[in-house]
Amino acid sequence: MRLYEYEGKEIFKKFDIPIPQGILVKTGEEARQAAIELGKDVVVKAQILGGRRGKAGGIKFARTPDEAGKIAQGILGMELEGYKVNSLLVEEKLNIANELYMGITVDGENGAPVAMVSAEGGVEIEEVAKRNPEKIASGLINPLYGIRTYEAINLVRQIGLTERTLTSASRVLCQLYQVFVLNDARIAEINPLAITNEGNMVAADSRCEIDDNSLFKHPEYKDLRIQRIENPWEREGVEGGVNYVDLEGNIAVMANGAGLTMSLLDTIKANGGSPACFLDTGGGLSRERMKNGVGLLLRKARADQRIKVVLLMVRMMISPPDAVAEGIMEAIEEVQVKTPVVAVMRGRTPYQERARELLENSAVILCPGVEEGIREAIKIAKE
Amino acid sequence: MAIFVDKDTNVLVQGITGKFGALQTKLMLDCGTKIVAGVTPGKGGQTQFDVPVYDSVQQAVNKHRVDASVIYVPAPFVQDAAFEAMDAEIKFTVIITDWVPLHSEMKIKAYAKGRDTRYIGPNTPGIMVPAQTSLGMISPSAVMPGSVAVISRSGTLTDEVASQLSEQGIGQSVVIGLGGDPIIGSRMIDILKLLKEDGQTKGVVIVGEIGGTMEEEAAQYIEAQFNKPVVAFVAGRTAPRGKVMGHAGAIIMGERGTAESKINAFESAGVSVAKTLWEIPSLLRKVV
Repeated sequence: MRLYEYEGKEIFKKFDIPIPQGILVKTGEEARQAAIELGKDVVVKAQILGGRRGKAGGIKFARTPDEAGKIAQGILGMELEGYKVNSLLVEEKLNIANELYMGITVDGENGAPVAMVSAEGGVEIEEVAKRNPEKIASGLINPLYGIRTYEAINLVRQIGLTERTLTSASRVLCQLYQVFVLNDARIAEINPLAITNEGNMVAADSRCEIDDNSLFKHPEYKDLRIQRIENPWEREGVEGGVNYVDLEGNIAVMANGAGLTMSLLDTIKANGGSPACFLDTGGGLSRERMKNGVGLLLRKARADQRIKVVLLMVRMMISPPDAVAEGIMEAIEEVQVKTPVVAVMRGRTPYQERARELLENSAVILCPGVEEGIREAIKIAKE
Repeated sequence: MAIFVDKDTNVLVQGITGKFGALQTKLMLDCGTKIVAGVTPGKGGQTQFDVPVYDSVQQAVNKHRVDASVIYVPAPFVQDAAFEAMDAEIKFTVIITDWVPLHSEMKIKAYAKGRDTRYIGPNTPGIMVPAQTSLGMISPSAVMPGSVAVISRSGTLTDEVASQLSEQGIGQSVVIGLGGDPIIGSRMIDILKLLKEDGQTKGVVIVGEIGGTMEEEAAQYIEAQFNKPVVAFVAGRTAPRGKVMGHAGAIIMGERGTAESKINAFESAGVSVAKTLWEIPSLLRKVV
């Protein structure tokens, strides 16, 4: 789950990483008031959960409160990189002498946290890595011990920092590691980390992503995650314990397991069909989760005339066949839509036999295998 | 023994009395798996399907020879359960549990480093040696004994691919789910190194997915050092960028982790890549 800039900065503040003075606003008038309160030149920053705000016009400077209010009115409601702007951060304008980059992320190949620092901040780190790799220093951290002060010092020394900048940068890096660990982050990043004319180090931006599997430890984010999903179908999916992604075609596809669902989509496309969505119910199915998944597809089919057929594939390794079949039938009974449902029941003997037996006299079109199921769904979609 | 386990492997189940642990213990016993003990703190002294239950792994290994452990404990407790198995010097662990926190996964990986131990998972369907043993939930009816090893990142897709092979009369030496998460105990390359030396395995099916770089790493190894025929399938060719497909590792970020990159890597390593699931058995017949 990605956090907004202002949320990341609130976390930084708790961990003694200096941030600019700032106020979150939702209207032009609030922005004007915020600028008065800050009492100096300000920067107005769109709060969105991705994209490059600066280039898209989401970050602007203002010399007076009236100007701040006007700019805010212009940015609020804008669509930036696919995200609608609902709030802004009004911050004191920093007198920046130099900009660094600092980030802790997860190195999948090594399975460990990696700390990365760069002498060039304020641009995408991937760009710097391509253009000037010598400006970047990085090191793996042992997650059992955490970052050690000398490791942090060695890293920032490698990008040319000395004296007071060296010690304050290494201190910020150690604190950022604490942010990463104690918030179960996938990414904790400061870009840019500004060095002001006065020689202070300030986190001018924040990027934090919390690991979704750790949200049980962070109830404050758990509900927010669902609220922030903009697509109503995707939100309904998460609420029902399934994973839904909207696509463009006419065959609504559901299976249990991400790999299996993706391979169905690929195989449908390879055979000239066009999937309308990806719905992965996950493993270890209950009647309720099955019903939620099938129900979601049927409601989607009712709302979206493009959808001609629903294809369900369940591979029962441990999922009880009675729960699977009942979940399907209850959803069909409840939603009442004419869209045909093709179902493929596979898996452990006697689970697959039992599920087929239960569905035999129901409204679904039963197919014995993946190939037959896909061909049948494509045939119906083309009729 | 193909790799890791065989019919003589003595197995411990951590979390044996929980909902999934108990259900799957029953299914594993039906496969003939030699489950010698289980662990659930607070339930020591009880039995589960006649298997003795202990309060700790150490207690179990004091009483029994344990060659491998299967972990079913809930996600918040997986880290300690894995540490416990490794501290008791169990040589091979299968972490079935799904939704394990990323930071736990990193710590388990670091804990295993430098020890004489291996693990697969988390978020794996486990490992099955047909007609010998099963540590996990792969369906016995999906597999048959033979000489093709299946290595997969998925759960249900692993089971489906095994079925596709068996239905065409192609048996398996071993079927392994590595786990769908970004940080897992054994990567494809680790398994390939073991399969290279395995006399029973004559060919390999790799079932990959978008996300990460494991397939590219495996392809490099195959090209340089692997001497057995390989067929690959990569799920997620048509997945949109930047969208997480499922809750686990499958996401394309920028240029990294795309299906094209993986397919190209495999093809330039001389690996045949199947476009559909049902193409896997026929491609395999051509090369094995």
